[in-house]
Amino acid sequence: MNTMAAPVVDDAAARRAARLDIEEFNAAYCTVLDDGALEDWPEFFTEDAFYNITSRENFDHGRPVGLVYCENKAMLKDRALAIAKTSMFGPRYLRHYMTNTQVTGIEPDGTICATVNYILIETLAELPEGRLHQAGRMIDRFQRQEDGSLLLSSRIAVYDTLLVPNALVLPV
Amino acid sequence: MSFQLTNVPAAQVHGAGAMAVEVDGLRLALFSLDGEIFATGNICTHAFALLTDGHVENGCVECPLHQGLFDIRTGKAQGTPVTKDIATYAVKIDEGIVWVDTQPRAGAGEAGGRAAALAAPADFRRLVIVGAGQAGAEAARRARAEGFAGTITMLGDEPHPPYERPPLSKDLLLGKTTLADAHVFDAGEAEALKLELRLSTPVASIDRDKQAVVLGDGETLAYDMLVLATGAEARRIDLPGAETVTLHYLRDAKDSEALGKALRAAESVVVIGGGFIGLELASAARALGKSATVIEAQDRLLQRLLPPEPAEFLAWVAEQNDVALRLGAGVARVGPEGVTLTDGTTVAADCIVVGIGARPRDDLARAAGLETAATGGIVVNGLNRSSDPAIYAVGDVAVLRDSVTGAEARMESWQNANLSAARAGGAIAGKPQIGTDVPWFWSDLFGGTLQIVGAPAADQTCVRRDGEAPVFFCLDADNRVAACIDFGDAEALRAARQMIEAGQPVDRAALADPDTNLFQIEDDDMKMLPIEKRFAWPAAGLDRVPDWAYTNKEIYDREVERIFHGKTWNYVGLEAEVPEAGDFVRSYVGPTPVVMVRDHDGGINVFENRCSHRAAEFCRELRGNTEEFVCPYHQWSYDLKGNLAGVPFRRGVNGEGGMGPDFRPENHGVKKLFVTQRNGAVFASFSDAVEPLEEYLGEEMLTDFDAVFNGKKLTVLGHYRHTLMGNWKLYPENLKDPYHATLLHTFLVTFGLLVAGNKSAMIVDPSGRHSTMASAKSDGAAVSDENKAEMRAYRDGLTLSDPRMMDFIPEFDSPWSVTMQVVWPGLIVQREMNTLGVRQIVPNGPNEFTMIWTMFGYEDDTEEMTRHRLRQGNLMGPAGFLGLEDNEAIKFVQDGMLNSTGGEHLVVLDPKVPTGTSTTLISEAAIRAMYKHWRQEMGL
Ligand SMILES: Cc1cc2nc3c(=O)[nH]c(=O)nc-3n(C[C@H](O)[C@H](O)[C@H](O)COP(=O)(O)OP(=O)(O)OC[C@H]3O[C@@H](n4cnc5c(N)ncnc54)[C@H](O)[C@@H]3O)c2cc1C
Repeated sequence: MNTMAAPVVDDAAARRAARLDIEEFNAAYCTVLDDGALEDWPEFFTEDAFYNITSRENFDHGRPVGLVYCENKAMLKDRALAIAKTSMFGPRYLRHYMTNTQVTGIEPDGTICATVNYILIETLAELPEGRLHQAGRMIDRFQRQEDGSLLLSSRIAVYDTLLVPNALVLPV
Repeated sequence: MSFQLTNVPAAQVHGAGAMAVEVDGLRLALFSLDGEIFATGNICTHAFALLTDGHVENGCVECPLHQGLFDIRTGKAQGTPVTKDIATYAVKIDEGIVWVDTQPRAGAGEAGGRAAALAAPADFRRLVIVGAGQAGAEAARRARAEGFAGTITMLGDEPHPPYERPPLSKDLLLGKTTLADAHVFDAGEAEALKLELRLSTPVASIDRDKQAVVLGDGETLAYDMLVLATGAEARRIDLPGAETVTLHYLRDAKDSEALGKALRAAESVVVIGGGFIGLELASAARALGKSATVIEAQDRLLQRLLPPEPAEFLAWVAEQNDVALRLGAGVARVGPEGVTLTDGTTVAADCIVVGIGARPRDDLARAAGLETAATGGIVVNGLNRSSDPAIYAVGDVAVLRDSVTGAEARMESWQNANLSAARAGGAIAGKPQIGTDVPWFWSDLFGGTLQIVGAPAADQTCVRRDGEAPVFFCLDADNRVAACIDFGDAEALRAARQMIEAGQPVDRAALADPDTNLFQIEDDDMKMLPIEKRFAWPAAGLDRVPDWAYTNKEIYDREVERIFHGKTWNYVGLEAEVPEAGDFVRSYVGPTPVVMVRDHDGGINVFENRCSHRAAEFCRELRGNTEEFVCPYHQWSYDLKGNLAGVPFRRGVNGEGGMGPDFRPENHGVKKLFVTQRNGAVFASFSDAVEPLEEYLGEEMLTDFDAVFNGKKLTVLGHYRHTLMGNWKLYPENLKDPYHATLLHTFLVTFGLLVAGNKSAMIVDPSGRHSTMASAKSDGAAVSDENKAEMRAYRDGLTLSDPRMMDFIPEFDSPWSVTMQVVWPGLIVQREMNTLGVRQIVPNGPNEFTMIWTMFGYEDDTEEMTRHRLRQGNLMGPAGFLGLEDNEAIKFVQDGMLNSTGGEHLVVLDPKVPTGTSTTLISEAAIRAMYKHWRQEMGL
């Protein structure tokens, strides 16, 4: 994947630089989910990306199911399309927050491993005060592209908030 | 002009009536009207649906989805919900093949081509009423009053306009009034009702297929709705010597006139039959100064109808009026000398009247194959609708069958004739009547009036009260007033009516005491009405579900007690979740927390997660492995079977404190539930009276259950948990409602999971509680081009980038690729192609429930199969393409109820199947079946 000429280093400076890139990446990612077009969301991923939203309960016990379980970008596109074009759900605002970004390692092939905490606040027409919908942690793998930008090759969202209020309509 | 070839022969369009074609990427509809072919756009301008699936009538096509109507020739939209016209295209036929000009005609199909506001369409429906008696006349009156605007034709075999019969044995018989006084309609009323009244016109038969009645002379008369109001006829008796005398019967005006003459000419009158009509005739004979004898085969009067006390009082009254009663007497023969009894004595008579009851005139209905009762009469539901949804029956001929208990009741009374007609008339006009009335009947006897309210029965106990006049209160086993027989105390009768409606147990002594104020008794007792009085199911029956079934806390508490803690099997977990000794999971039975644990003998135990000391929910981990459970509060410990093992300081400290000498740990284990298993699924019950699981499910349900739980070892793939903001029953209902599948879940239709032509079924078990919604995915090759076109019609240009999600890999011993099975009350077994799971309902009060999903595969799955199951899992669950929509819909339903005042739901689809398995998906019969069971269990 990594076609950059320079040898990969995993040191504090590289991690710091990666962290800044990831924070920027996630800010853009949240903006698309909160205020943008859902069809743009798959563009944050590589073609063979893995994406899963699962509970802490499953993750800790090695159970593989996901609320959303996608094995590649095509499936992410299908989800975006289906949600945008066919799904019925009540009007709502969703706002994603990602904090505590940590780069946990940079692998020899350039893959950046990172984690970030997230919360998702959902505001319904009939619940204008909003509520916490999910709180959890993303376990991510990023690939740097030729133009220097990042794409996710894996994102596993592990939520602590075991009991999903009603339905999760949009991805996290 | 740019005519394009369609390749469709004109003859084919004429044959089919309507056909979908695609020309130049345009989806067009071809219609055949009066030998000519017309082309229009095929997609409704309102919502996505194909007009060629719709219904063509009067040159218009009706969209199948929301009944939008378009004029086929002009494309004009004909009013709500459609406001935009459809495009129309010129057509020419060349060598028998249809060509279509793909340039739409000007004017039509453009935005802004709004339909002119149309006047309400005329009502072309034809209502036919057979029987011009009291109930028939009242049905016509009520249908009009409630707004029925179609034609009404009433056919009666008597020569008279409808009249009331009670005077036939009373004043009319005595010559005090005329038949005209008894007419139901006032002068001019029939004309005002626009009623075509055809008298002396007997109906010979009903042709239900053609929806027509056939008259005596062969003339047929088509109906859209039919009311049978054929009444009853006097029961005849075959007596030796009958040919030597005139035996009088009394049912109609002709009989009454003949009998009146005979009575006046007679000296001694004998009445055979000691019912109300018999007594009224004896009373009439006495009023004319004739001697009167009543012969009754039973040992007392009105034996089937009344408890002994009022019947004996009535006999006393008759005797006071010089009526001779011959009770327990059989008739051997009749002759000019009179009536000879089986004991050899002869009662002299020159006028013999027979009044031994009436037989419902259900012959027409029987011949037409309508459901009739074993004891006679046409079976109807709470709206007086018969087994054919287009046919109603009212009055004496109708037998009301309780949709829950199956109890049947036929009533012959003036009040019932009116009330039943009001129910049918309302239903016909689309305004079903709500509420029932306490039954009421009267009879004029010996210068007084006897009145009965409520439903008396021979086995009720009686309390007599001697106030202004004697009154008899009939009490049921719970000391509640069921009926009242009154001989002239109007006030007591009014109070009785209230007491019957309230259904409160009453104090016998107070009831009997003429000094107690009967209305006062009432007030004190009204404070705590029994639940079945406060929650009365809508009179329309299972066609309606009241909001309170979903929103009321008291109802919910009763559900927990009677259903979840009652005779039910409740899913608690999978064996695969507790493979080793000491493995446990926290689970629930209804809302009640339980622990499921495997013990060292290999058995699985389920017990309440509640310490027997201070009620603490002692097991806090979702799952784990342990040797014992220790309550954190005071360290009481329980073994893996739920037995109390240790109580700290049981003997006290230094000989002080501790438990008393009578404390025995074996009496203080946690509450253990009955447990059963089938092929890896574990169920528990609070009740030892529940039948074995195999019987509980029944053969048919077991087949679908075993397709998933087929004995192979299961591998748990994980769980989802979510809270739904609705009543728990809405979830099983959602899976008993095949109607919503294609309407709510556009995804299914868009991506071809459920399309026209798919085989599907909504199967209900005989008890009504369990069900399977099933469908078979047609493999790609089997989907016709036509169906493919239709699939695309709903959402253009949508295809999945990774279609593997929709693959079905056959692996089950079942004709179905999808089954959604409800195992009452709280389990759903999901087999959505290859994604398998169970959903467990955990209610949290009336307005919310939690759902716990356990997704699984089989131990011998390949890694690719496991991944396929996980991929397909995107369809279901709290974020599933289909699942999330159901969650939202359920919330919307509960919101609708909580944010309005009490109302009711309409579950009337598919009236031909009152409850149970339906052959069409456009049905709510499975929901009605569930509520039939629910009402039985709830006693409501
Ligand atoms: C003598 C008598 C006294 C009564 N006294 C009382 C009383 O005191 N209090 C009380 O509450 N109730 C009393 N009733 C009962 C009450 O009158 C009946 O319950 C009521 O008339 C029922 O109305 P209906 O329309 O169902 O039947 P009906 O009034 O009998 O009308 C049925 C009509 O349908 C016609 N018909 C039947 N078959 C056909 C056919 N194939 N084609 C065309 N026409 C057909 C019949 O000829 C008849 O005209 C009395 C009844 C009788 C006979």
